[in-house]
Amino acid sequence: MVSLGVLGSSALTLALALSIYAAVAGVLGAVRRDARLQTSARLTAIAVFLATTTAIVVMQAALLTDDFTVKYVAEHSRIESPVWVKVVTLWAALEGSVLLWAWLLTAYAAVLAVTAPNTILRPWALVVMQVVAIFFLSVVTFAANPFIVLANPPLDGPGANPLLQNHWMMAVHPVLMYLGFVGLTVPFAFAMAALITRRPGTEWMRLTRRWTLLGWGFLTAAIVTGGWWSYEVLGWGGYWAWDPVENVSILPWFTATAFLHSIQVQERRRMLKSWNLLLIVLTFSLTLLGTFLIRSGVVSSVHAFGDGPVGPFFLTFFVIVALASISLVVWRWDQIRDRADLDSVVSREGAFIGVNVLFLAMAFAVLLGTVFPLFVEATTGARVTVGAPFFDAITLPVWMVVLLLMGVGPLLPWRRAETQTLRSNLLVMTGALVLAVVIAFAFGMRRPYPLLTLGLAGWNLASVGLLLAGAIVPRARITGRSLGEVFTRYAFEQKRRVGSMVVHLGVIVIAIGIVGSGGYRVDQQLRLAYGERVAYQGYELQALRPFAEQEAGRASVGVEVAVWRGDRQITVLTPRINRFGTNQMTVPTPSVHYTAGHDLYLALAGAVDPAQDFVIIRAVTSPLITWIWFGGAIIVLGTAYALSPGDRPLRRRVEAEAPAGAEA
Amino acid sequence: MSRDVSQGRSRVRRLLPVVATVTALTALFLFGLLRGSPDRDIPSNFLGRQVPNFDLPVYERYMAEFGPRLTLDEVRGRPMVINFWASWCGPCYEEAPHLQRAFDRYGDEVLFIGIQTQDRDARAAGRAFIERFDLTFPNVFDGDSRTSIAYGLFGVPETFFVHADGTLQFKYAGPVTETILSEQIGALRR
Amino acid sequence: MTLRRARWRSALALLGLVCALAVGSAAAQERELDPRVFEIGRELRCPTCVSESVGESSAAIAREMRVMIQEQLDQGASRAEVLAFFQERYGDWILQNPPMRGMNLLVWLLPIAAVLVAVVVIARLLRRWRVAAETPVDVDPSDLDRVRAELRSGFGDGADR
Repeated sequence: MVSLGVLGSSALTLALALSIYAAVAGVLGAVRRDARLQTSARLTAIAVFLATTTAIVVMQAALLTDDFTVKYVAEHSRIESPVWVKVVTLWAALEGSVLLWAWLLTAYAAVLAVTAPNTILRPWALVVMQVVAIFFLSVVTFAANPFIVLANPPLDGPGANPLLQNHWMMAVHPVLMYLGFVGLTVPFAFAMAALITRRPGTEWMRLTRRWTLLGWGFLTAAIVTGGWWSYEVLGWGGYWAWDPVENVSILPWFTATAFLHSIQVQERRRMLKSWNLLLIVLTFSLTLLGTFLIRSGVVSSVHAFGDGPVGPFFLTFFVIVALASISLVVWRWDQIRDRADLDSVVSREGAFIGVNVLFLAMAFAVLLGTVFPLFVEATTGARVTVGAPFFDAITLPVWMVVLLLMGVGPLLPWRRAETQTLRSNLLVMTGALVLAVVIAFAFGMRRPYPLLTLGLAGWNLASVGLLLAGAIVPRARITGRSLGEVFTRYAFEQKRRVGSMVVHLGVIVIAIGIVGSGGYRVDQQLRLAYGERVAYQGYELQALRPFAEQEAGRASVGVEVAVWRGDRQITVLTPRINRFGTNQMTVPTPSVHYTAGHDLYLALAGAVDPAQDFVIIRAVTSPLITWIWFGGAIIVLGTAYALSPGDRPLRRRVEAEAPAGAEA
Repeated sequence: MSRDVSQGRSRVRRLLPVVATVTALTALFLFGLLRGSPDRDIPSNFLGRQVPNFDLPVYERYMAEFGPRLTLDEVRGRPMVINFWASWCGPCYEEAPHLQRAFDRYGDEVLFIGIQTQDRDARAAGRAFIERFDLTFPNVFDGDSRTSIAYGLFGVPETFFVHADGTLQFKYAGPVTETILSEQIGALRR
Repeated sequence: MTLRRARWRSALALLGLVCALAVGSAAAQERELDPRVFEIGRELRCPTCVSESVGESSAAIAREMRVMIQEQLDQGASRAEVLAFFQERYGDWILQNPPMRGMNLLVWLLPIAAVLVAVVVIARLLRRWRVAAETPVDVDPSDLDRVRAELRSGFGDGADR
């Protein structure tokens, strides 16, 4: 019987060897235009995926059967943990997450090998995917191999990081993050292929449009679920602390969002070719850079579990990727240089260029703030901190302009806006903005950002209304159909467009949640004597009794707190402290009463001691914070709708009619 | 031909800022990698300034000599080595013998004070720590950790080397070694 | 009751939990804290944590610092005075918002400078593009075909009303 560790290592080594073969065969096949070699490379991509799948299955088998001869299992798993924890332990530490990343990457590569249309770009794109796969497989084989066999296996392990075991969201968030990162590797691979084959037109972009959107959607979902995880686990009532780990996850999101918008300019107007190439290179490089930053211990982060020896690997690969791909862009500069023409800044393309500047500015500021302490230390030896207040101060104004443009952009036609229409549209939107601000003011809001955001929400809602009206009313008039019928048809035919409207609505909802919870949050530490009702923010809190619970692999103590509003008991919250297995670390776990208006969030801030007749509680009320999670869901739905099959944008119909090399 | 050359040159020129940026970032990150983990060893804000006073309860063992409480202002005038430790802190166990040996050697000229901090309700553990290493220099108990906040402590152990005039010469974060102790005490005595 | 108490005791013994969170000369810390304490705490970095603020952290030292902030506020100290108190002991490192002086100015000014440079560069590009837009171009026949096809097909892409 071969041990699982040996089996897993062999699968990884095989995957690496196959991946190298696929890359080499792909290059040779592409250079010699040898169809058989190309086919061989494609089939090998599937074999690589099967090999990494084997590795994943072996790791899961080792985790589920508590095979402590496997190093990763011995270091991160525990017999008494529930099954779901054992399954997600795969990505609870460094080695496993790199393995997961490699697996997802090879999965995408295999899907591409099968589904990508047979163009001149395909062989090279597959080669780039394999080169990235070679990197990840090398890391997981040589630097961070989870399958190392222990000569003296322990009888039991310490279990996964308690913070990760503490919430089911941990089963979802990292996978979404890697799906996002890997999804954005696909447009990068095709961009490189386009440069290598001297076809830097829009073909690479059209081929990967769905992949880009998919990757962006996953990344967005990952960021929102990560925020929710923080909220539910970390016990301070917030969801985003501008910790380096959070920053490096949002950096590629900024550039990917810019990319998502600017590729439309190239699709429609053949402008920004070089810019789009640079953006996707930047996005991919930032995923590598981010992984380096948080896995090497170079910057300090709460979430940096499992520093490993992989830092130098990621740094090296980042340098190689950044230099090689930028050199390629520069080398092909003559082909990608914009011979663009712009009729007016007040046009769709003008708005897209503006939004690009804003997202890139935020990416720059966040990257700068994240590495700035390191820079100061390296140059002067002094130690400074760049924390949440800085990032809030520098990104919030930019977000306001983003929201402003988000309302105007979709209403502007390509090339040049008709002054008359534009003016009347802006008038309606400004009216909505003012109305929203006035209403918010009447309700007692005084802080500038929440007021402005609500105003911009009105602005954007008016914009969506005008957009729909403009699309539907004339159609209804011409065709004589009812508005509802036309709307249904429109929504069904213009999935990308309607999807983007839904996503933008989600952004507004999130923005309201962010400024509401940020501007009007109240934290208080309360002393609750058992039985006594203590007033807090319009509620009365009454500590009822302490409790202790024991579940598989988890023990907790906590307090039952009745929440009263007037004479009515609304709910009983149970803030607690969890402990997992033999791990000394205790995890204070909050308990939240969710409502649409605001959340009531309770966390233990002191001991639960039966000898003591009171308990110390940290109580937080965050207005509108639920809107963030809700808005995240809206964005995901909108993205899914835009991706759903059956979208028939005009262009494709036209191309079907007139295929005569329109892209050449 | 000459067009090719000028094209090549302009390409190189375009590439320069990118190469410069990537190089600068890489240099920065290499510095970070070589430096190791951050958050250790942050220079004290008291360098060259008077270290703050404290007034803390003395462990029983030293009461005969120092009374029930030790107030820094009352013992100033000599060079001082002030060491912060906690009973849960591994490196503190590492450095304690070195401190005791340094005290045996320099105790006549230099005042040694141990402060147990960030270790609430752990007086019994503190007593055991003191007995284990048979620490003969005075140790006091900073129950609410406020002295550690007054000294701007980032963790335990940290050791402050204070001139006779009360100004801070050097702060060391992490377990002190014999070399550091003799170097710094040597500088204090000069 | 006794049964629950007994179960409670055994669970406690099992967990050894009291020490872990309570760590303490409890009395002083077990008090009420105002919202302002947390607001100010979020501007201070917790000295023993990896990268959390005093307002967020559940570390013992952060809890003690929150109590100190409350005491100072009770004595009439302002936000700036509280921040200065900790800055004097810990240096600039303790401030979550880098103070605007010396080298720290860079972290504030560079993003603004970057945006300004971007705006200037883009303005220049736009001017060049606009000139390009005004000069007639050789039209690719396939593009012309496309335009004709688009015109034939009636409705535009939604916004192009």
